[in-house]
Amino acid sequence: MISYRKKKNIENLVKYFVLIFCAIIVLIPLLITISSSLKNESALFDFPFRFIPKKATSNNFAQLLEKFPLYTFNSVKVTLTIVIVQVITASTGAYVFSKIEWKGRDIIFGLYLASMMIPSQAVMIPQFLIIRKMGLYDTHAALVLLGSFTAFGTFLIRQFMLSIPMTYNEAARIDGAKEWTIFLSLILPMSKAVLVTQIIFSFRFFWNDFFTPLIYITTDKLKTLPLGMTDFVREQYVYWGPQLAAALISIIPVLIVFLFGQKYFIQGVASSGLKG
Amino acid sequence: MAKKKTLSEKGIILSFLLPSFIGFCIFILLPMIMAFVLSFTNYSGGPSYKMIGLKNYIVAFSNSSFIQSLGLTFKYMLITVILQIVLGLLFAILLSKEFSGCSAFRSIYYIPNILSSVAVGLSFMFIFEPSSGLMNQLFMSIGLEPSKWLAGSKDALNVIITVSVWQNFGYYMVLFIGGLQNIPRTLYEASEMDGANFFQKFIHVTIPGLSPILFYGITIAVIRGFQAFDYIYVMTGGQQGGGPAGSTNLIAFDIYINSFTFFRFGYASAESVILMIIILFVTYIQNKGQKRWVSYDIV
Repeated sequence: MISYRKKKNIENLVKYFVLIFCAIIVLIPLLITISSSLKNESALFDFPFRFIPKKATSNNFAQLLEKFPLYTFNSVKVTLTIVIVQVITASTGAYVFSKIEWKGRDIIFGLYLASMMIPSQAVMIPQFLIIRKMGLYDTHAALVLLGSFTAFGTFLIRQFMLSIPMTYNEAARIDGAKEWTIFLSLILPMSKAVLVTQIIFSFRFFWNDFFTPLIYITTDKLKTLPLGMTDFVREQYVYWGPQLAAALISIIPVLIVFLFGQKYFIQGVASSGLKG
Repeated sequence: MAKKKTLSEKGIILSFLLPSFIGFCIFILLPMIMAFVLSFTNYSGGPSYKMIGLKNYIVAFSNSSFIQSLGLTFKYMLITVILQIVLGLLFAILLSKEFSGCSAFRSIYYIPNILSSVAVGLSFMFIFEPSSGLMNQLFMSIGLEPSKWLAGSKDALNVIITVSVWQNFGYYMVLFIGGLQNIPRTLYEASEMDGANFFQKFIHVTIPGLSPILFYGITIAVIRGFQAFDYIYVMTGGQQGGGPAGSTNLIAFDIYINSFTFFRFGYASAESVILMIIILFVTYIQNKGQKRWVSYDIV
């Protein structure tokens, strides 16, 4: 009979083996993308696959220079604008649903929550007609307006604000502070952590968002990265090298944000599950 | 609420509420109502259209491609939900206790989830290239038949399911880790004292303790499963897409094509209303069923 300790050690060994094996499987598609984007078209399908290219080239990236700097700029511009707008609408909404009492509050908040269940396809056509009526078809303003409301963000920040004791508000009100002053200089600074989570989540979502730009943007000059990348899908001939280089460019910013803000990602996912 | 709000108090409330409420009304509430109305018309974007009653719904349900699309959507939804939840749970259990390296593993498994689905689609198209792609090289080197993958009606949907599971199981893992860490240690200790083995602990402590979050995760996975779109557009043919022989023509994609390739706004609205009713119905059933297995009082 093996000792308890020995058994524990073997268990640990198996566990690490399984975890490392799975981690490799998860990472391989990324490694393939990175290494292939540095290869010449002729070396792409070499067998066996080389993770370190025999002759690295920046050719694939050079071919993107014509359009992708603009696509990237558009993505940065649209994403940052939406992130700022969302933080404003979500935090003011969260405040009015958590710190002020008024008639009808719970009904409207209930409607906000219910809207999370509605599939985007169900509102897609009317949204399109409304935007067209506003004369905003094929503009970045359409993307910003459609991204302005976030039920999830409002919910996330409200949950956090509920955990801040009302005594702060009451004390400030007795001192004669205005509601907006309390919001801006007391509650918002206390909510920094959840605001960062919200910012990171909406950055990730809109940096990657493809569906909305696909419907609203047709002019090449206005395309965002995810939409611009699908140019490859529409062309007759497949240019694998540039296609993979483009994919890589679009994932680098999110990876960098993830590297620095991991704990906010994790917190965001975890807190979305609490009392959902 | 004893005292009545003064005018300025109302103004303050509105100043906080309106930034989100305006967007909600114009881009969610109004479109919801419009979608219902449109679904009873033959609107196609032009100036003239008329009410045609239930015709769009009748056409949809007597249309074999719509029925096929619904069937595929259910198949996709069921398989992705099961795989994502099971894998998410498995890795959450492996990684919920702190040990050296656990946060690195958590990050690695979560990384695919933060990436753009378009970029992921483009990368996997390369891996599943139908003639000499890497997956076929791998298959042939271990003596398996190569496949046409995305270019063949047999495997196209399977590839999309694989990619979706690869990208999303990490989300459920992180969700479940949060839930597992909330289960009090004392419950495990108590059951160990009663001589429970690993599986007994899993059935009697882990599952009940995790059940509210497990339920939330399944609900989210189901809703997302019904709405798959990006991979299909990117990996199986763009605007003319839907895969070989419509094999990846999931409902969300069908709605998109009918709207923005064929401009059958009325018909597509009817399809979207059907999708919405299905989602609400399935969620309702889940909510009914949860009483049998979800316990909110254990933690």
